[in-house]
Amino acid sequence: MFKKVLIANRGEIALRIHRACKEMGISTVAVHSTADADAMHVRLADESVCLGPPDAKQSYLNIPAIVSAATITGADAVHPGYGFLSEEASFASILEEHGFTFIGPSAEHIALMGDKVAAKQAVEENGVPVVPGSAGAIKSASEARSTADEIGYPVLIKAAGGGGGRGMQIVRSADEVETAYTMARTEAKASFRNDTVYMEKFLEKPRHIEVQVFADGQGGAVHLGERDCSLQRRHQKVLEEARSPALNDEQREKIGKIAADAVRRIGYANAGTIEFLFEDGEFYFIEMNTRLQVEHPVTEMITGIDMVREQIRVAAGSPLSFKQEDITFHGHAIECRITAEHPETFIPSPGLVTDYHPPGGLSVRVDSGLYAGYSIPPYYDSLVAKLIVHGRDRTECLMRLRRSLEEYVIGGIETTIPLHAKIIENSDFINGDYDIHWLERFVAGETSSD
Amino acid sequence: MANKFDVDPDLVRKLAELLDDTGLSEIEYESTGRRIRVARQIGGAAMVSAGPAPSANAGSQTTATDVADAPAARKGTPILSPMVGTVFASPEPGAAPFISVGDTITEGQTVMLIEAMKTYNPVRATKSGKVTQILVGDSTPVEFGEELLLVE
Repeated sequence: MFKKVLIANRGEIALRIHRACKEMGISTVAVHSTADADAMHVRLADESVCLGPPDAKQSYLNIPAIVSAATITGADAVHPGYGFLSEEASFASILEEHGFTFIGPSAEHIALMGDKVAAKQAVEENGVPVVPGSAGAIKSASEARSTADEIGYPVLIKAAGGGGGRGMQIVRSADEVETAYTMARTEAKASFRNDTVYMEKFLEKPRHIEVQVFADGQGGAVHLGERDCSLQRRHQKVLEEARSPALNDEQREKIGKIAADAVRRIGYANAGTIEFLFEDGEFYFIEMNTRLQVEHPVTEMITGIDMVREQIRVAAGSPLSFKQEDITFHGHAIECRITAEHPETFIPSPGLVTDYHPPGGLSVRVDSGLYAGYSIPPYYDSLVAKLIVHGRDRTECLMRLRRSLEEYVIGGIETTIPLHAKIIENSDFINGDYDIHWLERFVAGETSSD
Repeated sequence: MANKFDVDPDLVRKLAELLDDTGLSEIEYESTGRRIRVARQIGGAAMVSAGPAPSANAGSQTTATDVADAPAARKGTPILSPMVGTVFASPEPGAAPFISVGDTITEGQTVMLIEAMKTYNPVRATKSGKVTQILVGDSTPVEFGEELLLVE
């Protein structure tokens, strides 16, 4: 087992990783930019190394600085968290070349799933249902036109190097296709340095349902159930729940098994999430994320499994601690992503947190690095806390969530706590009746039960 | 959080002797709530600074700036490390160090090397002046922004 792990991330996830390490008796190294010198996980870690100035390129994305920090502190392994370098295949391979273990899947699998065209082909070959679309990259405007005609409008032109909602264009009619195609390639080249695009049928009102998988590269592979992440604003998830109110047990088990079998067949190791769009009872693969996700706590709450601990164990060479039949699901969990933004205008609100009181009590969990007196730096994304609540069923979970949101105090800055409080009072949400467009309409005041 | 801190004279003597014996320029010793740093000014007597360790786990082994300064005043402005890595005081093993205390240096001059991932990067002086203190020894790991030397 590792003696020392370097945490190559910041904010709440860095604290999460620190906690898992300490519970395993592993000492921690927090690397940070100058702007994060007072972050809670930096204060708590056994050692810290300042990487550079606030700009992520010179700090959290600075591979030589991070490798150097691992060298001078004598770390055994590096956990990349989510975002930043967690899905950068070269980071994984450079670490391995320098004798450090990357806590995550292999560089090859990161690269495979990072190429959205190759990923789709790979999972389709392994039994995963995909969105109907082009057979691969689209090479010309006329090919775009004929493919779109074949699929049927509306279609989506997507960048192979994109993902996470970036690099997508909707095309609703034949006369728009060729212009949209050219624009999509230009933008893809600028954003991802890769102008490869492909095409898929555009689903009008799908839900976003993802399956958490875990494998050990030694034949063990399981699914840990699904999460419904349909509540999104500008392709960013805002609230997630497990289990999805839209599925029955038969559907859950079926898609879970498909996902677990696929990762076992490709020899995947460590944690991963397979994301689907779900419409009219059908699942359609969109992408696989080869890392721990922000919303992993909802899965932890319903399974009782510490996923970061398991990531570390698998990375250290152990087989999975559990087989599929060992995994049981209890109750319902919801996570609210709390960001430092105005709850209506979404204008960012970094700055000094003057008062801080997180909610507590049975089945209430807060993952956050905030504390009274902490100054939120303006250089990074606005997620400052995750409130995760569990209940024996969805109703109890909602009651507990309402109480927790009322109790939560974050003074001195604007946060989206009031937005979450409004969402959970809405009858569509209470009925579990929402798709990936619902939240945008809710925010714009256009939902029927407003 | 100030605690009464009784200085153990034997420990201090022992650390000062270790400095002389080993040729190190600085030793820092910490144990539950107390920390002592003994540093040698090149060409001068050993300095001792002592104080209670800061409240939370202060374990950063590479932030020299946290430690309470010695009674002798610091003279000059610091030149900071531009990166994470390991300090090399000389251009190559066995050669004379780039600089010594008392040298006059010019802005842009290489004052030490920092090695990271097997590449050696020169640290260039950000101002001209006289070197009053060298704060890191050969083979010391440093982080971004760490003080390397003082120039007046």
